[in-house]
Amino acid sequence: MSYQTTKEHEALRSKVRAFAEKEVKPVAFMNDQESIFPVEQVKMLGEMGLMGIPFPEEYGGAGLDNISYAIVVEELARVDGSTGVIVSAHTSLCAWPIYAYGTEEQKKKYLTPLASGKKIGAFGLTETNAGSDAGGTETTADPDGDYFILNGGKIFITNAFYADTYVVTAVTNPDLGMRGISAFIIEKGQEGFTFGDTYDKLGIRASSTCELKFNNVRVHKSNMLGQLGEGFKIAMSTLDGGRIGIAAQALGIAQGAFEAALAYSKERVQFNSPIAFNQAISFKLSDMATKLRASRLMIYGAATLKDAKQPYGMEAAMAKQYASDVGLEIVNDALQIHGGSGYMKGMLVERAYRDMKITTIYEGTNEILRVVIASHIIGRPPKKETAAKAKTAPTGVTGVRKKVILEGTAQERVDKLVAALKSDGYDFTIGLDAQTPIPQSGRVVVAGKGIGGKENLTLLEKLAYQAGAAVGSTRPVAETLRYMPINRYIGMSGQKFTNNLYIGVGVSGAGQHLKGIKTASTIVAINNDPNALIFKNCDYGIVGDFAEIIPLLIQALDNGEAKRYVEQPKKIKRAVPKKLPANYKIHICNGCAYEYDQKLGDPESDTMEGTPFEMLPFEWVCPECGEEKSQFI
Amino acid sequence: MSIWKNTKSTVRLVAEDIYYLGVDEPHVDELFEGIHPIPEGVSYNAYLLKDEKTVLFDTVDKKVIDKFMANLKEALDGRPLDYFIVQHMEPDHAYGINHVLKAYPDVTVIANEKTFMLMHQFGVDVALEKKHQVAELDTISFGRHNFVFAFAPMVHWPEVMVSFDTTTGCLFSADAFGSFGTLDGNLFDDEVDYDRDWHEKARRYFVNIVGKYGPHVQSILGKAVNIIKLENIKIFLPTHGHVWRTDLMYLVNKYLKWSSYEPEEKGVLIVYASMYGNTEKAVEYFADKLQEKGVTNITVRNASYTDTSYLISDSFRLSHIVIACPTYNLGIFPLINNYLARMKSLNLKNRTFGIIENGSWAPKAGDLIEEFLDKEMKEMTILDDRVTIISSLGEINEPEIESLVDSLVQSLQS
Repeated sequence: MSYQTTKEHEALRSKVRAFAEKEVKPVAFMNDQESIFPVEQVKMLGEMGLMGIPFPEEYGGAGLDNISYAIVVEELARVDGSTGVIVSAHTSLCAWPIYAYGTEEQKKKYLTPLASGKKIGAFGLTETNAGSDAGGTETTADPDGDYFILNGGKIFITNAFYADTYVVTAVTNPDLGMRGISAFIIEKGQEGFTFGDTYDKLGIRASSTCELKFNNVRVHKSNMLGQLGEGFKIAMSTLDGGRIGIAAQALGIAQGAFEAALAYSKERVQFNSPIAFNQAISFKLSDMATKLRASRLMIYGAATLKDAKQPYGMEAAMAKQYASDVGLEIVNDALQIHGGSGYMKGMLVERAYRDMKITTIYEGTNEILRVVIASHIIGRPPKKETAAKAKTAPTGVTGVRKKVILEGTAQERVDKLVAALKSDGYDFTIGLDAQTPIPQSGRVVVAGKGIGGKENLTLLEKLAYQAGAAVGSTRPVAETLRYMPINRYIGMSGQKFTNNLYIGVGVSGAGQHLKGIKTASTIVAINNDPNALIFKNCDYGIVGDFAEIIPLLIQALDNGEAKRYVEQPKKIKRAVPKKLPANYKIHICNGCAYEYDQKLGDPESDTMEGTPFEMLPFEWVCPECGEEKSQFI
Repeated sequence: MSIWKNTKSTVRLVAEDIYYLGVDEPHVDELFEGIHPIPEGVSYNAYLLKDEKTVLFDTVDKKVIDKFMANLKEALDGRPLDYFIVQHMEPDHAYGINHVLKAYPDVTVIANEKTFMLMHQFGVDVALEKKHQVAELDTISFGRHNFVFAFAPMVHWPEVMVSFDTTTGCLFSADAFGSFGTLDGNLFDDEVDYDRDWHEKARRYFVNIVGKYGPHVQSILGKAVNIIKLENIKIFLPTHGHVWRTDLMYLVNKYLKWSSYEPEEKGVLIVYASMYGNTEKAVEYFADKLQEKGVTNITVRNASYTDTSYLISDSFRLSHIVIACPTYNLGIFPLINNYLARMKSLNLKNRTFGIIENGSWAPKAGDLIEEFLDKEMKEMTILDDRVTIISSLGEINEPEIESLVDSLVQSLQS
């Protein structure tokens, strides 16, 4: 392990620092304030060969080592944490897995433009229910001939939507748990691949972060990264390396804040002396410098191991966890040294203080990293006695639904919808106060962002009246657009609608909204975007324009009389799924008829849940009667 | 040739050189396997081959051992017993092993490894030189008759094997193709109206004894098709019930159905329990409503007064099951619980359920039954139309009943 960087490393540092000071620092404040992605700067980084540092030149990379890579991220983050993470996510999380697991063809097609900076990359692992526990992945990739059909979504994705190339994970076999996850390379602009709203973040505001949505995205099998079922392994090893980048980002942000605090403390005079000479301040500065040096050595140490192709997972985790934990302390002290000035917008330390926080969270929270480190030094914990989880094949968020998309002219579609609802038992002569609290409403008409201007709400209220429904909305309509009070929005975090009839108009179907309606008896979706996720989660859907469909629907539901008020409308039933056999073989013992179900594994022999029978070791015997594996049918 | 070999015994010739030595056991006060009532009695069948060598196939239960030993002696007619094939160690067929070994000490016992192991566990020890251990698909010739042995593990014990006489096409099938019921002199399938008088008994026997082992039954039927070849099998000689020589496919088809858990009929079984008649009244009303909507195949069974083995038999037969159950100690009524547990232990699957629950202060049975069917059993579809009776059926239940009836009708039609 080297205790000193080489001349070449320091030459690179000078070059990147000069660039960062000249091109990045001047725009960082504005980009932060306005959440502007530094398109120009990233382009320049590509031209300088800094978007593919650790990759061979034959794939468009710079052919440098991982310390060089860490130095680049560090120097960029020193002036702007956002630019640091853009390079880190691009290099470590997208280009690297393609380099490490891609076929020659995939490397030529995807790595080369990434490493040469012609394209930007991103990585999609995190989902609503799969954060630290990637085993909760719900995005599915169902085989269909030479293709996989991706459905689901990812959240908190760095560099989306500016990235061109995405490495994402999806479940290819729901019965195999972690081993049923595979990785795929997809491209921006593929049919069915869309983006959600960009998040409004605390820090790193110039880096773009948004949701990925997959709606029947057809991915050719040649775009599967690694082997079937290797997705989890690929994701984990990708994150191992990514941690060097994030550690370097944390180090850079802290370094920038430290330098600013040092300079400020030498200039700021109180009690006739620069405050730097006040022991309270000088000790702070000493501690900051010590922590920075420790972080830097840890990061370069992990990078050296990686270059030497030695195991570096634990060291990378330690470096990221340490650099970000002490990084938070450093930016805190740096801001403190600045006093009131540091609390003002426009000060680098103010931005560094906000930018730093994310580094203890992403690419493995520091809590998860301690789990990783502990597993390296202690080993795997003994098995806990837990009841076997029966995992069922995933259905949509809203469970089993009819998913009837109505066809025909606008009038025919509306008529079919009303006929279907009536045949399901809905009586449209009864009514309800439009402002009935959501939990007490038997029916609800919900406004999504797709309804357009606020004036269109009047039309929805008319529809609600004719449908005997209350009025509600999605979260953005209440929270961002403020069309309705916040207590009218439906979603996992808001109020749940568990009653009879839900009619969503212009609702796209964000996961958290669908979770709030998953026990509704009937879900009707009206939206002009045929790819809206809600159509996969509805009983009846009409693809059509709001202004055309809604008036027709109001007319069709109008019985010409005032609606009758009914205390307790009857509960309408949901479609019942027919239970199907497992989609894998259950092996049965010839000695006692014990059933080996791969979903449950065999706790007695420490066989993990999800282990296929074929993968049981030769010496495995029936846990009940001791028959050999060959005696199973 | 008269089939009567000897009028003083029940020995009968069933095929060339092969004699029936079985005994009817009509006493109805005993439970079969200590669990299933058999008011129709049962026959314990054993067979003797008189070739160049004499060969005994299995014995009988304790209760009828004397009659069997007399039959054996009579059938041998002074010849020594050379071989004794033990196909199945369950004591209703193996009880007589010690009697046979004592009466014919020179006999050689033919069995597989597991059978000899179980024999030892049951207290029967055969001298090493008298053991002839066979492996899967071994063959032995006894003169004119050549036999092949096929193992049928877990139909319904692990050691079970069947013996096929390639000369006559006789398949000594152990418990497979058996039935409850005494034969009353009619030994062959073509001597009775099987579909009318025996089908129910054969089903109750099969599903309660072997029901759990569907995949194993399929596996041995596969061997019969692929190795022995079905067209070579002329006669089934089971250890209970009739000797099949006419319509073998009738029973093979039934076995295929039962062992794959496919219902035999589209129809509704209503299993209920009622403490004071309120749930019963609801069931009667419900059955009427079903009938009004055109459902004709309805069977109503009171679990308190019907042995579970009959409920199981009906559950294998019918496609749809409605459980009507009072809440008892904040749980499922115990006799309904028995029924559910038995269904689970027999691995029944692929049925559609409706639930009617009753409860006077905290109706809970419905949730618990639904949870049991959903979590503990396989491929059970539960209609989303719970009928909840609070103490007694009232106007308020009308929509629920109508809804469950409609769903059943719809599901029956699909």
